[in-house]
Amino acid sequence: MKRTIMMSAAAVAAATLVLAGCSSGTDNDSGGGGEVTGEVTITLAGWSLTTTPEFQVLADAFHEENPNITVEVLEYDATEYDTQMIADLAAGTAPDMYVLKNLKNFVTYQDGGQLLDVSSVAAELGDDVNGVDAYTVDDVTYAIPYRQDAWYLYYNQDLFDAAGVAQPDGSWTWDDYATAAEALTAGLSAAGSDAKGTYQHGWQSVVQGFANAQADGADLLSGDWEYLMPYYERAVALQDAGAQVDFGTLTTNSLTYQSQFGTQQAAMMPMGSWYVATLLAQQASGEADAFNWAFAPAPQLDDSTTGEPVTFADPTGIGINPAVSDEVAAASMEFLTFVGSEAAASALAEIGITPAITNDAVTETFFGIEGIPTDELSQFTFSTHDVRPENPVDLNTVALQNILGDAHTAIMSGSVSPADGIAEAMDRAASEIG
Amino acid sequence: MATTVAPAPTRAPRQRPPGSRLKLRNTFIGWTFILPNFIGFAVLTLVPVLILFYLAFTSWNVFGAAEWVGLENFQDLITDRTFHTALRNTGYYALMHIPLTLAVSLGLALLLNTKLRGVAFFRTVAFFPYITSIVAIAVVWNMLFSPETGPVNQFLMALGIDNPPGWTTSTTWAMPAVALVSTWRDMGYYMLLFLAGLQAIPGELYEAARVDGANKIQRFWNVTVPSLRPTTFFVTVMLTIASFKIFDLILVMTDGGPGTATLVLSQYIYRKGFEEQQFGYASAVAIVLFVICITVTVFQFLINKRRDR
Repeated sequence: MKRTIMMSAAAVAAATLVLAGCSSGTDNDSGGGGEVTGEVTITLAGWSLTTTPEFQVLADAFHEENPNITVEVLEYDATEYDTQMIADLAAGTAPDMYVLKNLKNFVTYQDGGQLLDVSSVAAELGDDVNGVDAYTVDDVTYAIPYRQDAWYLYYNQDLFDAAGVAQPDGSWTWDDYATAAEALTAGLSAAGSDAKGTYQHGWQSVVQGFANAQADGADLLSGDWEYLMPYYERAVALQDAGAQVDFGTLTTNSLTYQSQFGTQQAAMMPMGSWYVATLLAQQASGEADAFNWAFAPAPQLDDSTTGEPVTFADPTGIGINPAVSDEVAAASMEFLTFVGSEAAASALAEIGITPAITNDAVTETFFGIEGIPTDELSQFTFSTHDVRPENPVDLNTVALQNILGDAHTAIMSGSVSPADGIAEAMDRAASEIG
Repeated sequence: MATTVAPAPTRAPRQRPPGSRLKLRNTFIGWTFILPNFIGFAVLTLVPVLILFYLAFTSWNVFGAAEWVGLENFQDLITDRTFHTALRNTGYYALMHIPLTLAVSLGLALLLNTKLRGVAFFRTVAFFPYITSIVAIAVVWNMLFSPETGPVNQFLMALGIDNPPGWTTSTTWAMPAVALVSTWRDMGYYMLLFLAGLQAIPGELYEAARVDGANKIQRFWNVTVPSLRPTTFFVTVMLTIASFKIFDLILVMTDGGPGTATLVLSQYIYRKGFEEQQFGYASAVAIVLFVICITVTVFQFLINKRRDR
């Protein structure tokens, strides 16, 4: 009997030790002082690898230039990416390098000491890399962006012609956009089509992202959100006029923006640049109808910014896990140097990704894709814009975005007026964040 | 009848009373039977719950050490308006969901407690919603409830109601809509429990009642309800705890919206913890939920005990 007790006690103790060993992360500070000499394999986290080829494209292009370093891509879940990554980092089982899917959670990693200082890589990058500033906190850079999306206005040229409305010319303000949406709805209805003038997807970004980027004195972190008012009043008015699908129908019927624009239910749609590649793929596979389309700069607050249109989107970057050995850190730094290069940007542009560098060479590569609209306005839209990050880097960003998200659903569903909804959100921000 | 004189007990050198060895052995055998499950429970549930009680008094963002902050999280809860909203919504949901599900599942059980042909088929059908994927349920019910194009409102308009509710798109009607769907989903499961209870009632009781001239309704109130009391008690406790813990259906059906009309405690815990990385604060909210569940359950036990006398 005694022996049994002793043995089980020993087993429990052993198990405890194993568990404890799992959760203690090693923390050796490597400033990239190591040298890559032999064959090295480094790991990189990605998601939905079958439909998101960008990670493998970067890994392959890099391996071609550096045959002694192999980058292995590990798959994570797309929607639970950050939750899984945070758990893995805390447990010490995360890959050598991981992608920062959005800026909202960047501060969690940076503040938690889970990103290696890569300022030395950032210092060698060209000036035309967008989004590096977003990853720089107190003059230290923690990640290198490889793609920098931007929000555009997509439009269906066939539906514009059918409705007899003039196509966007790159000088549109939001008021022009609203007028066009109503004219399109009327014109299409007269032409016997039940397509709407525009489609605004259910995300809070579609309204708030533009307001945060364009409105005077807009500051998400201030908790003073009066500047959202005109943007919401316009969106609600378009909904009430029937120029866009109302929010209730959108949420209850789980509408997808890909099918709304792709099957010609709407003549216009503000959407991120990632949709270019999606729409091309869906038109090729027959999921989307065959029609003529193009994209224009996002509508502006007023006509003073049409020369360099203001839009928004978070960069997507790659950072290094601080728990790696010196040699792996050095190899990872080399990979990041490549990630910020024009060669990487061109490789990404070939598959329809909007890279962090959009110079002439990259633009040419991007518009060489088969089926892509090649009109001048689309090219201008792709290459020229002032893109602001959607999420400020701050510990309170996620909490504030959650409060704003609640306000968005309350206002767009018509439960409260824009003024009341925004006032309520400001009260909550003061009470929760204070 | 042989009487044997017991020998005078000689003091054994051992300190153990006779039979204790066997008892110990039996205890060990018993333990080995429950050990596999208990180890899993301890490692995956018990220990994390105990750690949660510690974390509630700290400020922890998952990385590094948790910093002890004492009662600060609980002080913040007192002034946190969103927490109050979540608390109110959870109570509101429970108040709607518990009586409704009790009534519907008991009604179904009584209906299907007959010897009709095909009754097994209907029992299975009533159980279907419980085993259907929650995501599918949310998508389909959302479509049914669609304010403009949904069949529910089309039907109401056909009945002559001009302004039918917006259901999941209205702050007033979103919670009742969720409660309706969750009742529909849970009724099969609780119906099974009630069916088991009904079939355990001896038929003699009904016969005696019938001989005494009791009609159907009297038989229900004087035989069925008292005999079902242990089942009803169990179902009520389970249902109460499940109602306060509601999470999955809300998350996929309304995601707490519109605004915060359907934000419930479990979802608030999830938001604060896994979205906003405030694990200490989320643990504090979790403790509040735990205290609510345990208080209500103890209260129900006490009432049940008093009735047992």
